[in-house]
Amino acid sequence: MATTEIYRYLHLTNKRVALDAEGYLINLEEWSTDIAEAIAKEEGLELTDEHWEIIRVLRDFYQRFEQAPAMRPLVKAVARALGEEKGRSIHLMRLFPGSPAKLAARIAGLPKPTNCL
Amino acid sequence: MENDEEQDVAGDLLVILRHGPHGSSWLREGLDAALVAAAFGRRVTLLFMGEGVTALVPGQQRGPLGQKGTAPTLEMLEMYDIDSLLVEAEALSRLGLDGDELMLSPRRVEAAALPGLTACHSLVLTF
Amino acid sequence: MLLHILNRSPATSEVYRQALAAMGPDDRLLLIEDGVQGALKGLVGRFGDVRGRLLALEEDLAARGLEPLCDDSVVRVDVEGFVTLTEEARKTVSWF
Repeated sequence: MATTEIYRYLHLTNKRVALDAEGYLINLEEWSTDIAEAIAKEEGLELTDEHWEIIRVLRDFYQRFEQAPAMRPLVKAVARALGEEKGRSIHLMRLFPGSPAKLAARIAGLPKPTNCL
Repeated sequence: MENDEEQDVAGDLLVILRHGPHGSSWLREGLDAALVAAAFGRRVTLLFMGEGVTALVPGQQRGPLGQKGTAPTLEMLEMYDIDSLLVEAEALSRLGLDGDELMLSPRRVEAAALPGLTACHSLVLTF
Repeated sequence: MLLHILNRSPATSEVYRQALAAMGPDDRLLLIEDGVQGALKGLVGRFGDVRGRLLALEEDLAARGLEPLCDDSVVRVDVEGFVTLTEEARKTVSWF
């Protein structure tokens, strides 16, 4: 769920971006590739082409369904968009370690997925 | 199990949706319950019953204040592998709806088959 | 046996019809809260052939002063009996 309570700010060179307590954007429209990179950096990730193609899948998913996907539907969406080879949880785990659905949603400027732990 | 149809949809969870979109949060809550179960690998069947059949009417939009509707969530069900979708035939005729024009092409369930549905799922949740 | 639980009065809500539609031949229907109005002589007919498998929660009848008006065909159970019923039932389904 998108929350409206500002917990902290993410500082970019020329602006600051409001985040909730779990690090998701308060204002989803504010998202940009710069913000994605800054959030990824907080998580110790350098975004590669492989990351960006997942981020695009996530943003398309949200555009279409108005919700961030849990892991299973994310895997399915990635498989459809990028092929079976990439539509596997191990691929997502490698790119977005720990909890891929949550981490990738945060970087992609989506609300936190509601249907996953 | 009394017949093949029931065998076919027998699963872990039957979620019965009896409320239309926008008027209350029941429909959304029912769908959320179904999605959580599916995200954890449960086989879920949705039954749209009574007023709940209006959730399947095509052409739904956001509410007057921009509130999200449930139609995008319904479109999303297949991504969660929720493909067992049933609609109460009697409710369709009572509301004068044409079953062939509904979203997601649910399967019609006649009144006589309803008790079998509640019996053959290990958990039944009504919303 | 499935235990169906109804908490709405058949006088104001059509929900009882959904419960009836979903009930199997051995299932029981327990009326609780405002649902106990369904035990009144004038309303009990709505439950058709469920009579005999129709129960009402005594505490809710008593709270509403409906005990004397409860139809004879309705089986009364107290809260303890309610608990026993849920244990006997394969599962419970709520109608509200």
